[in-house]
Amino acid sequence: MKHPKRWIIGFLLIGGLVILALLPGGEKLEFEVAGEFEREVLIPLPTIGPFDLSVTKTVAYLWVAVAVIVVLTILISRTLKVHPGRFQYAMEALYELSRDGIVGSVMKSGKATWFPYVGGVFLFILVNNIVGLIPLPFGEHHQPSFYAPTANLNVTLMLALFTFVFTHYAGIRKNGALRYVRAWAPAGAPPVLKQIIWAIHAVSEIFRLISLSVRLFANMVAGHAILAVFFAMALIFQSYLVAVALQGASVLIYLFEIFVAVIQAFIFAILSAVYIGGALDQDH
Amino acid sequence: MNPEAAKLLGAGLAMGLGAVGPGVGLGIMIGKALESIARQPEVSGDVRTNMFIGIGVTEAVALYAFVVALILIFVA
Repeated sequence: MKHPKRWIIGFLLIGGLVILALLPGGEKLEFEVAGEFEREVLIPLPTIGPFDLSVTKTVAYLWVAVAVIVVLTILISRTLKVHPGRFQYAMEALYELSRDGIVGSVMKSGKATWFPYVGGVFLFILVNNIVGLIPLPFGEHHQPSFYAPTANLNVTLMLALFTFVFTHYAGIRKNGALRYVRAWAPAGAPPVLKQIIWAIHAVSEIFRLISLSVRLFANMVAGHAILAVFFAMALIFQSYLVAVALQGASVLIYLFEIFVAVIQAFIFAILSAVYIGGALDQDH
Repeated sequence: MNPEAAKLLGAGLAMGLGAVGPGVGLGIMIGKALESIARQPEVSGDVRTNMFIGIGVTEAVALYAFVVALILIFVA
């Protein structure tokens, strides 16, 4: 017995786990993952035509995210200092990342024109993803529930449509409509092959729209579904041992989800920059 | 086989098999990127940016499988 203290701690740990395993669990609760993604109506409003104007969980989360962005950016830009504080340093790092890391590294021309859009979309998605990890009282009966606005296909499709429209707008404004569309197929190819390549490229433009929106949507849905399952596992198994083990695991998954939130915002912004840059400087 | 069971089985198969290809692809890509960074540390910034673009494009394939699985469970 070299380390008696360690043995005592070890026995206490094992004893604690055995007691936890033997304790009777709480009430059994039904749990549905899909319920986490239902759009609860917070403020019912009338429907005009095909548009339901009610304020749902998604809209409330979007408002919170927009408020965070507006307050952060306005406060920090009002009180700029030569020796930056913590928040100013963080915002400067984000600005630098979107200017040099995203726009600067993939676009050749039109950097100054398109930086505001790409940087804005990066900040918007980043704040939305991270706010989505914080439980806010927008659930059923104002219970705290966490939900990312970007885990809603309507939001991500809208963002992807912005990129889609801006890509073609940028390409047509710089190259002219006819030259822009013609450059979708390489000039040197034989005529029949050229038409096939052109058609494939035209289809791929539509698929960019789908992949851009579905990537962000599916990532956020998958992340939130895994988190919800981990939180609910203790209720399903009715065991304190599982509850203790899974709380540790869900903290790790939370950390991973923060990483995913940043990476997905980065990928959305960088792909937007790649598409817009590709439309500006067509290589073939 | 009853349709409910077939639905769940199909969703599981779609997600599981759909994750194989992108998993292999991501492993190869990130491995190659690390290799090239180790050979030439001075280009690490460029390599990392392009790696993230590649990750985004490759990962989308697995996410299509995820969406198909969701459709099979909740919509079909």
